[in-house]
Amino acid sequence: MRRREFLKTSAASGTFLLLPSLPLPAPFAPREEPDVSRLAEIALSTAASLKASYADIRIADYRNQSVSTRERRVTGISNSETSGFGVRVIVNGTWGFAASNIRTAEEVQRVTRQAAAIALANSRLQKEPVQLAPVKTMIGSWATPDVKDPFLVPVVDKTAFLLHLNEQALNVKGVSFCTSFMAFVREHKYFASSDGSFIEQTLYRCNPSFTVTSVDRERGSFQSRNSYSEPQGMGYEYVDQYPWEDDIRQAAADVVEKHSARTVQPGPRDLILHPSNLWLTIHESVGHPTELDRAIGMEANYAGTSFLTPDKRGSFKFGSDIVNLVADKTQAKALATCGYDDEGVPSKEWHLIKGGVFVDYQTTREQAHILGHKESYGCSYAQSWADVPFQRMPNISLEPGKKPLTLSQLVADTEDAILIKGRGSYSIDHQRYNFQFGGQTYYEVKKGRITGMLKDVAYQARTPDFWNSCDAICSSEEYMLGGSFNDGKGEPGQSNAVSHGCSPARFRNINILNTGKS
Amino acid sequence: MLTQQESQAIIAKVLKSAKADETEVSISSGTTTHLRFARNTPSTSGRTTDTVVTVQCTLGTRTGSARTNQLDEESLRSMVRTAEELARLAPEDAEFMPALGPQQYPTSNAWVDETAEAGSPFLASGAEECIRSARDRGLVAAGFLRIDAESESLGNSAGLFAYHRSTIASMSETVRTPDGGGSGWVSRAANSVRDIDFKEVASIAVTKALESRNPRKIEPGKYTTILEPSCVADMVRSLLFAMDARNADEGRSYFSRKGGGTKLGEKIFPENISLASDPSDRRVPGSPWGEDGIAQKRVEWIDQGIVKNLRTSRYWAKKQGRAPVAFPPNTLMTGGKGSLQDLIRSTKKGLLVTSFWYIRSVDPQTLMLTGLTRDGVFWIEDGVIAFPVMNFRWNESPAAVLQNVESMSQSQRVPPRESATPTMMIPALKVRDFNFSSLSEAV
Repeated sequence: MRRREFLKTSAASGTFLLLPSLPLPAPFAPREEPDVSRLAEIALSTAASLKASYADIRIADYRNQSVSTRERRVTGISNSETSGFGVRVIVNGTWGFAASNIRTAEEVQRVTRQAAAIALANSRLQKEPVQLAPVKTMIGSWATPDVKDPFLVPVVDKTAFLLHLNEQALNVKGVSFCTSFMAFVREHKYFASSDGSFIEQTLYRCNPSFTVTSVDRERGSFQSRNSYSEPQGMGYEYVDQYPWEDDIRQAAADVVEKHSARTVQPGPRDLILHPSNLWLTIHESVGHPTELDRAIGMEANYAGTSFLTPDKRGSFKFGSDIVNLVADKTQAKALATCGYDDEGVPSKEWHLIKGGVFVDYQTTREQAHILGHKESYGCSYAQSWADVPFQRMPNISLEPGKKPLTLSQLVADTEDAILIKGRGSYSIDHQRYNFQFGGQTYYEVKKGRITGMLKDVAYQARTPDFWNSCDAICSSEEYMLGGSFNDGKGEPGQSNAVSHGCSPARFRNINILNTGKS
Repeated sequence: MLTQQESQAIIAKVLKSAKADETEVSISSGTTTHLRFARNTPSTSGRTTDTVVTVQCTLGTRTGSARTNQLDEESLRSMVRTAEELARLAPEDAEFMPALGPQQYPTSNAWVDETAEAGSPFLASGAEECIRSARDRGLVAAGFLRIDAESESLGNSAGLFAYHRSTIASMSETVRTPDGGGSGWVSRAANSVRDIDFKEVASIAVTKALESRNPRKIEPGKYTTILEPSCVADMVRSLLFAMDARNADEGRSYFSRKGGGTKLGEKIFPENISLASDPSDRRVPGSPWGEDGIAQKRVEWIDQGIVKNLRTSRYWAKKQGRAPVAFPPNTLMTGGKGSLQDLIRSTKKGLLVTSFWYIRSVDPQTLMLTGLTRDGVFWIEDGVIAFPVMNFRWNESPAAVLQNVESMSQSQRVPPRESATPTMMIPALKVRDFNFSSLSEAV
């Protein structure tokens, strides 16, 4: 199997653009690429000779760049590359995995043997053999579409842009400090399995942001506001498109105003959550409890379990009738979007919550049979070549309301509430019942109008109570994509990037805390 | 894992190929072996070997950094060229500090051959003990066992060289009742595999799982609370992270004083509160160097309640006319004389908390955090554990916790649950008025 023999295949959903096979332009000094298919063949044949019932290998290289500044100073410019391979085998019905940064035939053979030895050592403890759902043989490639390669944009442009941004904030009276940052990732990986699949993928992600701070020494007060920008499954085009000037001007005004904002009265209150805040609530209270590995106890020692136990599937009233939440690994510009997961399963879209009812989970190949499914939803991911793939969150989004409703109309329709924008403090229990979230800015809504800024606000709720209290969701023109660049899970800990889209939504009678007094 | 000679050779090669005014090279190299289990059976496991080389090149006061994990000559040269190119594109840095020359480093005996040699069979036998002890009582075990053997090295064009190697064996286990009505947790970390007694730790998790069944509901509020060492470790870590001199001087820290200045030198805690770090401490040996290769030494952070040191970068130290203080390589909190049992015996009414979960900052000005209790909360009455209670969310500041300490146990080596920090000596604390803000029905 050679790279030139790769076929462009259509993934199941057919909703994303398939690009020709790589190579993409290489901003780093080019290195002669090792013969990937030969290394894959060695891993798979070695595994077969060791009686592995299944084997796969991921051969991958990752590029990261970060540029950071504070005030009028560049505090860091860093490029990093990491490259290697990881081999996964099933021997005696038990998983084994080993990985190395040395991409040679001998090392692939050694590491494959090691993975098989680990599987064998652990198999005496195995209760039931690992059972993989079938997957079609996939020969193909996929790349994040329409990317302006961030690694080709000169670093001077990036530092100049960030310093200019800082200057805009520092020019505002009362602003004391401003930091800004941008990070880019290029994930390039080959996947080959004993099922005959051979896949090449190139994924891009970006994460630009800033933080403005105002210090009032006399009051003994300091206030900060982060940008409302969100990490995206995009290249430098996001930096070009985002309304930085508007956001930083507003942020500078916000931090000064925060000193004198009224402290919130604790107690039950209606909430209007902006997408820049609501995405994280979706992530924590919908994304994690619908992970099947949590629900069946596989993450009991670390991330926890889930209140959404399998017996609730198909009947549990998770939210109000207007609440529909969809998992989607094909969504344009989203962080978890790809052509195939790290088990070679094509990306898909499916409902987790439909009409307020909990209907399904996120799955990998070894989990599908637990639900009686014939195939995996394609949620396997490893953060690098060095890590074991396991079940990670797809993009999960709240479907917009069907009736036309803008944020202004929602505010006009609200008697007494708090409007919250931006990602703030976040915490949720290990079964995803009790959560507490903050934000970046808080506005009081009285009789259909925003009447002023509040501070010291957090909202605390029980997940199903919260989603059942949702009585309005704005329509699609207000839809925005937020996301987490580094969602942690697993042992050893792994990071996953994932997006969550939503329109502003209203929630009734939610417990508000005063964080300055509690 | 690279030896000292191998590390020195790579550093020399990189320094030789660099044309920058100053070059600094750091290498981390090692092997991680791990095993997870859940539902009384292994889940994922593996062994990963990697070596990461990072170079920082400076031209005048302009600096760029690059990193690779490929050790062939061309990859290393390419990494240096990238860093030099980034340095050329960087603006002048008003806060630039020249590289340090050779340093005298303290001894830190963090390496144990037996740990480095222990592999998957050792982890499998540990998991077997955990699974067996849970299954024998009709319970369900999940856990994680891990061995790290790694070396770190640092060298620069001013002649500095440092090498350090360490081994860590760590484990944690959660045992649950099959109906999900009880759950117990335990965690250990040590430099030597011999110091982890799987039988002992497995029995702790089993006992907690059984004793936490059928928890009663107690109204949220402020209670006298005994925090087991893992909880205290998480609180103390948050406090240490906030102890930054520049942030305090700039007025954006809990350690800033209203109207100007900092709390350095102020007595902010009772006299029984002392926090230090020491890379040579035999119980929790730490890395001998901090940022830029600065030699670590014993540092008192809080001494008998007084703020003695704040973390200070080399630049900020120069600007303020102080000595630099690196981030602590370990944490040594002075404990009391008794045991956890003694704290329980001395309590008329109060709560006992096993561990904390999902801790996040709520207000950096007050150090207010939020989080939850997990895997065992118990009501104490007249000096004994009376019954298990439901989990709580809490909103509390580590500063307030240390201000409200009534008594403490002896310190022990304990990893905080929220972060992989295996080098902390921490006591259990009995504190007044710990603020539990709402109930969680999670078990």
